Amino acid sequence: MHWRRHATGWAFTAPALAILAAFLLYPIGYSLWLSLHEWDGYTAHWGAFVGIENYRALAEDEVFWRATVNSIVFVIVRTPLEVGLGFLLALLLNRRLPARSLLRTLFFVPVVMSLIVVTLIFQRVYEPNTGLLNTFLHGIGLGAWAHPWLGDPATALPAVIAVSVWKNVGFSLVILLAGLQGLPQDVLEAARVDGANAWQLTRRVITPLMRPILALTALLSIIGGLKVFDLVFIMTRGGPTYSTEVLATMLYREAFELNHMGAASAIGVILVVVVLSIARVQAFVLRESGETEPA
Amino acid sequence: MSHRPGTASGMSRRRLLRLGLLSATAGAAILRGRCAEAQIGGAQPTPAPVPAGELKNPAEFKAPRVRASSPTTLSFWQYVGFHVDVQKFIAEEYKRRHDPNLTLEITAYPGLNEQRVGVKSALAAQSPTPDIIAIEPGAYAVDVSTSGNVRDFTRVFADDSEYKRGFWPNALELLTINGAVVSVPAVTNTVIVYYNRGLFRQHGVEVPETLEDLKKIGGALNAKGIMPIAYPAGQDRNFPLFPYYTYLGGTRADKLMREADLGLKPWTTPELVAGAEFVEMMAKSNLYAKGPLGVKEPDAIQIFATGRSAMFWGGQWMRRSIRAALPPGFDLGLFPFPAVVAGGPRPVLSSVGITLTVNARSKYPELAFEMIKALTGAWGKIEYTKNLGLSPNGPIGAEAIAYQMQSLKDPLYPEFLKLQPTGTTRVLFTPTVEEAMTQGMQALITGAKTPKAVMESVEAASQKVGTRKFRTG
Repeated sequence: MHWRRHATGWAFTAPALAILAAFLLYPIGYSLWLSLHEWDGYTAHWGAFVGIENYRALAEDEVFWRATVNSIVFVIVRTPLEVGLGFLLALLLNRRLPARSLLRTLFFVPVVMSLIVVTLIFQRVYEPNTGLLNTFLHGIGLGAWAHPWLGDPATALPAVIAVSVWKNVGFSLVILLAGLQGLPQDVLEAARVDGANAWQLTRRVITPLMRPILALTALLSIIGGLKVFDLVFIMTRGGPTYSTEVLATMLYREAFELNHMGAASAIGVILVVVVLSIARVQAFVLRESGETEPA
Repeated sequence: MSHRPGTASGMSRRRLLRLGLLSATAGAAILRGRCAEAQIGGAQPTPAPVPAGELKNPAEFKAPRVRASSPTTLSFWQYVGFHVDVQKFIAEEYKRRHDPNLTLEITAYPGLNEQRVGVKSALAAQSPTPDIIAIEPGAYAVDVSTSGNVRDFTRVFADDSEYKRGFWPNALELLTINGAVVSVPAVTNTVIVYYNRGLFRQHGVEVPETLEDLKKIGGALNAKGIMPIAYPAGQDRNFPLFPYYTYLGGTRADKLMREADLGLKPWTTPELVAGAEFVEMMAKSNLYAKGPLGVKEPDAIQIFATGRSAMFWGGQWMRRSIRAALPPGFDLGLFPFPAVVAGGPRPVLSSVGITLTVNARSKYPELAFEMIKALTGAWGKIEYTKNLGLSPNGPIGAEAIAYQMQSLKDPLYPEFLKLQPTGTTRVLFTPTVEEAMTQGMQALITGAKTPKAVMESVEAASQKVGTRKFRTG
């Protein structure tokens, strides 16, 4: 009877497990094995087994470290902005405001817009000679600040990050707003009765209660930031001079432009390890601080 | 009373005289065309003016040697959407006239990157699809041919030497890997300088003959608040290399570059470093619109079309996009880049655009070759370039050009034909070298590195590749 009950459970979960194995576990294992080989991607059979040579070569590759640093910068800058702005907006839109529904919709519009459209729009915005941003700066007497935003290695990455924040802040906003609306009203009411002002209420009551939701939003933002590809690829292709190269664009370049499929797989494996590690560390920290594990 | 064109009955004396004149022009043009096979740098003949709609494609649409015995579909993967219509047209004509059983199914990927990924996956899976593959000259051609994934044209050319003679020799040279032609060009095209004739006239400047002239013009235009050249260096990884190729073409060092590309000469030789110095000089000269690495093609077109810049450095393939953006009355001209050294040639970067090859695992290789011959042969090449305004893959006669001009109606087209082909290349064969060059040129444009440092990094990348497993030309 006991066995039969388990068998029924396995039978119900088997399709999902099969899909998981076929489309997640097998590709990860395949990539791991491929990362230990040479292969140009044009033949049916892989090249020689090279052990950890691809990883060693990456460790000595200046571009890999540049891409790693850029990926980290991307995450470190993007996540606080995205979650912080999202939280502020959520707090604002959780109040009784005129046209609140309209504002919520407007902030969410960039999330549902096609990324291609967004990047094309911002390419025009950043264009150095006729772009909206420089034209605006000239218009308000700040022409000296006009700049080739995507053409200068010093500003290209911040410019791309700004677009990423603009595109994704609405997503954080929606999750955090849902979290705010789910907070226990009796606790908030008790704080008000005890004389807490708006700042104290937000800092001492709402923020601690929102920590699991904030952690979930941050985790999603970190993972999204680490695997960012399309935005960077379309806007700058990792340039100029690798100033916007991130791990995912380097992976693409190695695989499909330089025909180093083994090295590309090694980058993929490293990305998976980093993302899983961050998720586990975050879960551990939250558990240690007595919070519910978010994901 | 009107008569169908080409019918003998009712033909007027004036019309007969006109056709007679055309035949004489075409005869001379064909002779010139044949001579052009042996010479690199020859020009196409000037078309004879002809009333619209009266001429037909003068070339014979030759019957294939092999036909499909039952309904067969050939798959064709390419990456240039605006070529689809003409490819379909030629394939349908081929089906109608020669092989009713054969259909061409075209998949147009949105861009080269996407198509290359798709092709790579298909070839790695040993798929017989696609039968026909569009590839770029250079690294792409090397990759697919050295991996044994495509068939070469040795036997096709042996069976039909006239077909081979129909291509510009230097175009085939770019597609010759390890002694065999692995792909054939559908078109050829050039990189030139478009200019706003009206602005030039208005400010009293002439088309520059030399680099010094160009600098003077640049200074004069800048003084009047007009940016000299819109240069979309941010478009893709090829654009940042154009100034380098241009300099090497202008100093006749392009063959040396090819040798360096193949690992036979160092990239740090003075002639090749001089090319990097030229790139740096151009970036610092205030000749470009600001921040060229942040400028993409549509932006540059807008800058040029609105008169903010007087010149536009770009490719023949952009002619239609530029035309579409120009306001009425815009007087568009073009010229080859000025001579970069005293007494040197005016470099016109010349290359093949889309080229066609056959999957080694195709189930119908003979039919695929016949279809490619239809698309790129004597009749096909005239139809192919008739509406695109790109240069044909080989010489065509005055009558053919006149036929094309009936529908093309673009005064620039004959100008382009005069520039094609030259010996100057814009192709690199070694992917790692190409990548190092792209990054290096970006570093020069942004002032992040010195020319010497850039060429040393390219040389380091070249040495890392080691001995090449291929030779070209």
